[in-house]
Amino acid sequence: MTGTGPVLDVQDLHVTFASSGGDVHAVRGASLQIAPGEVVGLVGESGSGKSVLGLTALGLLPRKPEPRLEGVVLLDGLDMITATDEDMRARRGTDISAVFQDPMGSLNPSMRIGAQVAEAAGGATDEEVAEMLAATGIPEPEHKARAYPHELSGGLRQRVMIAMALSRHPKLIIADEPTTALDVTVQAKVLDLLAAASRERGVALLLVTHDLGVAARICDRIAVAYAGRIVEEGTAAQLLQQPHHPYTVGLLASRPRLDGSIAGGDLPTLPGRPPDPRLPLAGCAFAPRCPAADAQCAGPLAIHVNGERRNECHHPGVLTRWPEGGPHAGRRDPILLKAPNPVVAPAMVRGVPPEPAVVVRGAVREFERPKPFPFAKRPAPFTAVAGVDLEVPHAGSVAIVGESGSGKSTLLRMIVGLLEPTAGDVTLGPGAPPQMIFQDAGASLTPWMPIGKQIEERLAALDVPSSERGARVAATLEAVGLPAEAQTAVPRALSGGQRQRAAIARAIAVPPALLACDEPVSALDVSLAAQVLNLLCHLRETLDIALLFVTHDLAAARAVADEVVVMQRGEIVERAATEDLFTDPQHPYTRELLAAVPEIHAMAVPA
Amino acid sequence: MGALVLRRFGALLAVLFGLACIVFVLQTVIPSDPARAMVGANASQEAVEAKKAELGYDDPLPQQFTQYLQRLAQGDLQSSLRTRNEVTADLREFAPATFELAFSAFVLAVAMGLGLGLLLAGGGRAGRIIRIFLIGGASVPAFLTGLLLILVFYSWLGILPASGRVGDNFIVPDGPTNLLVVDSIIGGTPDLTLDALKHLILPALTLALLPALAIARTLSTSLTQVEREDYVRTARSKGLTERTVLLKHALRNASGPALTMSGLQVGLMLGGVVVVERIFAWPGIGLYIDQSIAYSDFPAITGATLLLGTAYVLVNFFVDLTQAWADPRIRTV
Repeated sequence: MTGTGPVLDVQDLHVTFASSGGDVHAVRGASLQIAPGEVVGLVGESGSGKSVLGLTALGLLPRKPEPRLEGVVLLDGLDMITATDEDMRARRGTDISAVFQDPMGSLNPSMRIGAQVAEAAGGATDEEVAEMLAATGIPEPEHKARAYPHELSGGLRQRVMIAMALSRHPKLIIADEPTTALDVTVQAKVLDLLAAASRERGVALLLVTHDLGVAARICDRIAVAYAGRIVEEGTAAQLLQQPHHPYTVGLLASRPRLDGSIAGGDLPTLPGRPPDPRLPLAGCAFAPRCPAADAQCAGPLAIHVNGERRNECHHPGVLTRWPEGGPHAGRRDPILLKAPNPVVAPAMVRGVPPEPAVVVRGAVREFERPKPFPFAKRPAPFTAVAGVDLEVPHAGSVAIVGESGSGKSTLLRMIVGLLEPTAGDVTLGPGAPPQMIFQDAGASLTPWMPIGKQIEERLAALDVPSSERGARVAATLEAVGLPAEAQTAVPRALSGGQRQRAAIARAIAVPPALLACDEPVSALDVSLAAQVLNLLCHLRETLDIALLFVTHDLAAARAVADEVVVMQRGEIVERAATEDLFTDPQHPYTRELLAAVPEIHAMAVPA
Repeated sequence: MGALVLRRFGALLAVLFGLACIVFVLQTVIPSDPARAMVGANASQEAVEAKKAELGYDDPLPQQFTQYLQRLAQGDLQSSLRTRNEVTADLREFAPATFELAFSAFVLAVAMGLGLGLLLAGGGRAGRIIRIFLIGGASVPAFLTGLLLILVFYSWLGILPASGRVGDNFIVPDGPTNLLVVDSIIGGTPDLTLDALKHLILPALTLALLPALAIARTLSTSLTQVEREDYVRTARSKGLTERTVLLKHALRNASGPALTMSGLQVGLMLGGVVVVERIFAWPGIGLYIDQSIAYSDFPAITGATLLLGTAYVLVNFFVDLTQAWADPRIRTV
């Protein structure tokens, strides 16, 4: 049935993984159609089942734990649930192809780019490969075809992935978070390339993403996934301007935005967490978190279909605006954690103006390059940070923004003492030594050690008497919004957001004068990211901790920082109070960064 | 790549120098009296002293060391106390047999390790059975394996010979390589080639078995890890067959740890050669060392040690280069 029918037709799909803790229901009755040439966004948080749906269409679900599939997934007429492995394999590449999230890991590291593209094309000459690479905007395609993946930037690698996905003119491309791992300026270009390429060639595109802004930028139609179902679906304009499902409203509200509509206050956050995928669902899965929920919502699902729009809400459109604040708004009362610690800010006690948390003067950091061969003259070192002055005031908040390679992380590492500056000075203010929060909280926690022990270790290192440690651990966990049970849990048992809270708990158990955060929320879902950003702001206020925040996410920077510093090629090109920088950027590079952020425009929410 | 070869070659020379130093230290530290051994137990004390002076054992240590290095540089390993021949001449006679055995065993170990590793990583019933077999096999020492193989293939089945390099009814050709299989092929005597190969099978298998198991386990572990990599998923999304995905994308990227393991196993094999050559009466360096130890024949022992050490370092030099070939990211480091 090629031709006019949908290229992908998912009907009542259920995907269940068997696990020792009970069956995990990843997808619970999702339906979605994609017409030939259509660009559809599938938006949801991690655990919503969006990626599983994409992989099911590709026939590439992981084999362990073994998935159980029910429903129908018709790829151009072939049911990918009942089809044999061989039939599915034959469709991949020719009918359906994929662009995955991590361009670093998605290309074979030991094969030249050109060979990988030729393989995807089912055999191609060097000229054809160069043409394909050129078509995705790769400069010097003949030269790049001879390169290995590690020799290319993330953006170029993702273009190679796109070239491979397009190489056999498939009917559908599944793009799973294709730009999440890229710098913001590159993100926009890669997204536009993907959309343009699929429109020109009439290739349908399913863009799986957690970011409504990314979907809004290129999609005709958007489907919102929650707890394994598609809870709302409609044209991009409909969904963004007049969301019917409260979850969509919440997603839109919790996105940190550049236009400053939440200035001074908290980012709105969705209360609670998505339902446990191991438990059966009765009624609407979002009801426990929904401000508009009532007794009806626990009953059978209400499914409304109206032309292109579809939603699964008993009260569609009732909620037009997410209520102010979140559960965290009520938690602004100070948490007593700092009282028994005399090392914190002695200057405050004496009534002297507090010293800055850190002062950086003329910091330079060079990295030596390896000699090309023994006895060769050593090549000129690579300068990551080229003479930077920076000051973070006591309990202040400064964000450093820039793309990868701008030197922002190197600067941060020099400040916390992980790297020695080649030249210049870093002077830390009084108080406990600085602590650091990393992007990947999971990797920054010791895997086998319970969270409570990890916090205790830190207390012991700073000579907190052992009699006080138990109480301090409990207070710290509470301060970061973790349940008391987290004390005995190992990191693996926590969710991504909880792990980041645990990492924060460890860092602030003895409040440092400076908390250095390296992309602390870029691995988190939107609503979780908002919660963590709020938490950092509250900790700053209640514990007098200065924040130094490295990020490529300008919206996040705006949410937490008083002052923003823009770095490019190891130098600070602009610094300004946050409001001024966003309303009146001076440097062209800052303007370029701002323009590249995927924004949801025209958010006219009817009253 | 060229720069990498140069760097690694520099490291190789440094390691060889270190090896020479260690051998010298051992030679001086170990309480043995080569001069006494050379002149014989009944010789007078004057004769021993005269021999000592002649051999330079009375010189101060630094001088002895420079002389030792000079001799090494000229390829002079002194004379064996037992055979009275130049050690280099002895080694030239015995080394080819050992090289033939060790090389065959190495190739066998890598081939078996590769095959078993692929089967193991494939999972399923075959994988599980092999895993049990591997753990069992890995706990059997080489001398026992050798005896078992002799028992089965020589004593019971009578299909393979169990001692020496060649049967008595053959005339061993004199060169050019002293590798029997190669020489017999060059000489155009297929009967001899076959007989030499038959003699090789059991000792090579004995020597190869443990290293093969180690390589297989390393390979299967890294294959299982690579299977989870995104680029393997990418390869599948291109519509490649499982076979292509495994052999073209997974195997090469998984080969690094297995190659490292292969290099390490060469060390064990060169040590194991002494035992295995004795079991199978294989006329190689192992047998030579074995006999020299009984005589405290130090020049012979150190000479053989230097040769085996050099072989080990050379093999690992090539393993390093193979790794750089397999993973282009190493080349720039």
